[in-house]
Amino acid sequence: MAATSVAKPASKSNKTKSKATLLNALGYKSLLTFTILALACIAGFASRLFAVIRFESIIHEFDPWFNYRATAYMVQHNFYNFLNWFDDRAWYPLGRIVGGTVYPGLMITSGTIHYILHALNIPVHIRDICVFLAPFFSGLTALATYFLTKELWSSGAGLLAACFIAIVPGYISRSVAGSYDNEGIAIFALMFTYYLWVKSVKTGSVYWATWTALSYFYMVSAWGGYVFIINLIPLHVFVLLLMGRFSNRIYTAYTTFFILGLVLSMQIPFVGFQPVRTSEHMASLGVFALLNAVAVLRYLQSKLSSTEIKYVFTIGVLIAGAAVFCVVVLLTYAGVIAPWSGRFYSLWDTGYAKIHIPIIASVSEHQPTTWFSFFFDLHILVITFPVGLWYTIKNINDERVFIVLYAVSAVYFAGVMVRLMLTLTPVVCILSAVAFSRLLELYLKEDESASKGGETSDNDENDEKGMYDKAGKLKKMKHEQLKENEADQGLGINVRSFVVVAVMMMLMMFAVHCTWVTSNAYSSPSIVLASYGQDGSRQIIDDFREAYYWLWQNTRDDARIMSWWDYGYQIAGMGNRTTLVDNNTWNNSHIALVGKAMSSNESEAYKIMTNLDVDYVLVIFGGVIGYSGDDINKFLWMVRIAEGEHPKDIQESNYFSERGEFRVDSEASQTMLNCLMYKLSYYRFGDMKLDFRNPAGFDRTRNAVIGQRSIDLTYLEEAYTSEHWLVRIYRVKKPHEFNRPKIDKAERRFISKSFVSKKTAKKKKGSIKNKPVVIRGQRLSDQ
Amino acid sequence: MLFTTFKPSALGLTLFFLLLTIANVSEGQKKKQDASGLNDRYQQIMDMSSKRTVIKLNANRYRELVRTSPRNYSVVVMFTALSPKRQCAICKHALDEYTIVANSFRYQQMFTNQLFFALVDFDEAQDVFQQLKLNTAPVIMHFPAKGKPKKTDTMDIQRVGFAAEAVARWVGEQTEIQIRVLRPPNYSATIALVALFTVIGGLLYLRRNNLEFLYNKTMWAVMSLFFVFTMTSGQMWNHIRGPPFVHRTNAGNIAYVHGSSQGQFVLETYIVMGITAVTVLGMILIIEAASGKGDIRKRRIMSIVGLGLMAFFFSLILSIFRSKAGGYPYSFLLK
Repeated sequence: MAATSVAKPASKSNKTKSKATLLNALGYKSLLTFTILALACIAGFASRLFAVIRFESIIHEFDPWFNYRATAYMVQHNFYNFLNWFDDRAWYPLGRIVGGTVYPGLMITSGTIHYILHALNIPVHIRDICVFLAPFFSGLTALATYFLTKELWSSGAGLLAACFIAIVPGYISRSVAGSYDNEGIAIFALMFTYYLWVKSVKTGSVYWATWTALSYFYMVSAWGGYVFIINLIPLHVFVLLLMGRFSNRIYTAYTTFFILGLVLSMQIPFVGFQPVRTSEHMASLGVFALLNAVAVLRYLQSKLSSTEIKYVFTIGVLIAGAAVFCVVVLLTYAGVIAPWSGRFYSLWDTGYAKIHIPIIASVSEHQPTTWFSFFFDLHILVITFPVGLWYTIKNINDERVFIVLYAVSAVYFAGVMVRLMLTLTPVVCILSAVAFSRLLELYLKEDESASKGGETSDNDENDEKGMYDKAGKLKKMKHEQLKENEADQGLGINVRSFVVVAVMMMLMMFAVHCTWVTSNAYSSPSIVLASYGQDGSRQIIDDFREAYYWLWQNTRDDARIMSWWDYGYQIAGMGNRTTLVDNNTWNNSHIALVGKAMSSNESEAYKIMTNLDVDYVLVIFGGVIGYSGDDINKFLWMVRIAEGEHPKDIQESNYFSERGEFRVDSEASQTMLNCLMYKLSYYRFGDMKLDFRNPAGFDRTRNAVIGQRSIDLTYLEEAYTSEHWLVRIYRVKKPHEFNRPKIDKAERRFISKSFVSKKTAKKKKGSIKNKPVVIRGQRLSDQ
Repeated sequence: MLFTTFKPSALGLTLFFLLLTIANVSEGQKKKQDASGLNDRYQQIMDMSSKRTVIKLNANRYRELVRTSPRNYSVVVMFTALSPKRQCAICKHALDEYTIVANSFRYQQMFTNQLFFALVDFDEAQDVFQQLKLNTAPVIMHFPAKGKPKKTDTMDIQRVGFAAEAVARWVGEQTEIQIRVLRPPNYSATIALVALFTVIGGLLYLRRNNLEFLYNKTMWAVMSLFFVFTMTSGQMWNHIRGPPFVHRTNAGNIAYVHGSSQGQFVLETYIVMGITAVTVLGMILIIEAASGKGDIRKRRIMSIVGLGLMAFFFSLILSIFRSKAGGYPYSFLLK
């Protein structure tokens, strides 16, 4: 990165230097542009490979496992089978209609790449395509950002923006190799749609607007965040109307985009009729109506051409706006349009999710953002992007209104939810690039003007493509006036180089920060853990895969595994077994039932488990190695979610010690000590002595000796425990197994009393006919 | 009582009955006294609660109405310290929430006269606090009609908080009277909004001949920048989580910056906001110095000052960041 950011100013100076031979300049310029963009893509790709190099080419975390499984299914069967796929291995016994409940863009993208590569006889496994898809698309994102920034400001700023977005941690966090998730390709689709939109606003051509709609279609197929686009673009148009910047270009661009986009987005099965039936999409419809009303009034105005018509125009627009608003409100009230869904509503009413939807509030990504996170993910960019915003507003035009609105809305959403930092990151990169490019442009350019004289200033304005035409003209006039004392017009070489060196150092700080953050925070696959010894030696903890492999090899094919929903996708993906709940979280009451089973005592849990046909229970236990993301630490959420659905049976307060703390040691409450999760986590753990400093049964995660050392299981038996005890699997016994003592077949015998025959003389069966009667001392009569 | 069974038949029997009756009457009178006391008390507490939904009790009243044993009603009491000299900031909020619960209970279909909400102030009943060994406030306790209060009859404010919903849930758990919290709709926000719009509308109307200021880009730019600073400094986090302004450590020092990356203080976010704003100002100065057309000496100074501001405050925020992130290796100018 440092290399590329230094290379960029060089392009500037080159650009001006070779003015004499225009052809040559163009050649240099495009060569440099090409090189810088290529370097940015490579840097972006390479910095996302930490996990692959440290571990292996593997799918990360939770959701990517489902995406991978779905992709593999699609590649194996065909696309239409995928769309009709009913997955009976998830959400037992309900199942899940996968084709209708996913955004298929991700699977189609990697499926297409797989298809093309195989058509070219390059036999790449689909897993490797999935692993490297996100880094590859981050390169494309850098290109799209370059084009967008170029349209908005200048190509110099575009190059800087491409370099920034390639390595900024806020984007890397979602696109490292192996993080095979919707966001990986969605940010590219987002930036590309915005580029095409800006292009179509500038040109006002149906051609570009159609491309915008197609790109929007790709975005809809890839990520639920498409709602951001379909609200931001109408907002842009609306603000342009308010500013009195209506033009036929905007009319053409928006109407084309809206109609095509609407029709196309409804082709995705998961989206369906939402675009015409939910409040999230109503803004686009309202703006469409309003834009048409304005266009009609404009037309009337041109026909009638009188001074009074101005009032008619204003009033007409107001009435149209009010009418559109009222119709939307009425339709919502009548139930034709669904109101805002919980996830979106919680963005406006920030306290909403916490009270009403604990499952949304429980996800750490849905928390608000501290300033620390902003700085961690964006570093110097978060400080400098207001400068870019300042200059964009100062030099406003149609398309810059767009980037200003994008910045202001995205910064709000990022403040409410950590997860939406992702949508803020591109605009921060763009605006920071504007700020830095403006600074470097001025400070490196003056170098030229001082050495070469007045000639170049002329050239500068051409280079800026009339962006600062007003300021530029003024400058030129003054410049001519001040020609006599031109020598000391510049700031002087010392000041300039001082500033440039300092700014470069800050940018280098940014580059090292990005590498450090990527390496330390965002490059853990989280299914393979690494621990480092004191001598720096590395130990790989591969318990998850070990346990899932055990499941795959040692259980029946239709075995049903109960676990907390976090592990559902992994069990299905790696273990290939049926799960009860998974990360899709579409059915809260089913999740609550599993939560209830985990937080009840053994016999209650057994009832639930038999009702749900559970064969195995899987828990994650980190007490041996000190892994903090285990089930005991998540346990309170299970209790809370279970309490939400079964308030009579589960009460959160019962799981706290007398002092109101959540503990596992001897102070823990009886309910806690007897619940299934506690028993399954700590079964046999009381006898385990980890080291000499601590007594047996010392939990390293919670730094406590467990409260119940001897745990007996009646209804379950331990089936498997992985090497570091990270994953523990228990088998649920069948009813005949715990009702009576088990006896080996060989030892089974029936105890009987002394034998008495019940046969009497009468009942004796079979008698010999004409039985000879033998009398002693008499001969047999021979008849 | 037994008077109805009194039949003068035989003297012995009469005498026996008489004796029995006397015994019964005396016992009955005692019971009657209790009953009348109970009735009195019940009447009293009814009267009081009809005046105010949250009954204010002093020490005597508390002993009389809450601690005297035969009762046919249960009482939820909040022990608190409302007087300003006690400087209990959350007591006020807790009382507001508590009053909401009491009021919603009153206007509920399930309203029974079996449950009362009361309040004991520390300054009016210090001995009660000593007796119950309370050394914090506010504390919410439930005194059931029968039996002594158990451990669960003290609400765990530390854990569940004192929001009206939490109080109502806890009351529901203790008394099996479910209270649906009806918050009085908060009109203040609406009124403020309407007032704001009126003021803006009025100003626009007054200046209708000269609306040029709406096109003032500097004003819009400053507003956007302010909004951005607000958001990036984590004000939304403050709004949702409500952290303390600063932290007073045990040693008596004041910590301005939260030690961990997970949290932040209100003052800390203001500091960050200020630093960001100054850094932005520095960078704008640098750019303006180069693009401006004023006196060259002034512009040179402007440029250097801008660079100084930018470099210094950037390193400052980096060092604050570093102090919060454990093991972060990089710093610039400042440690």
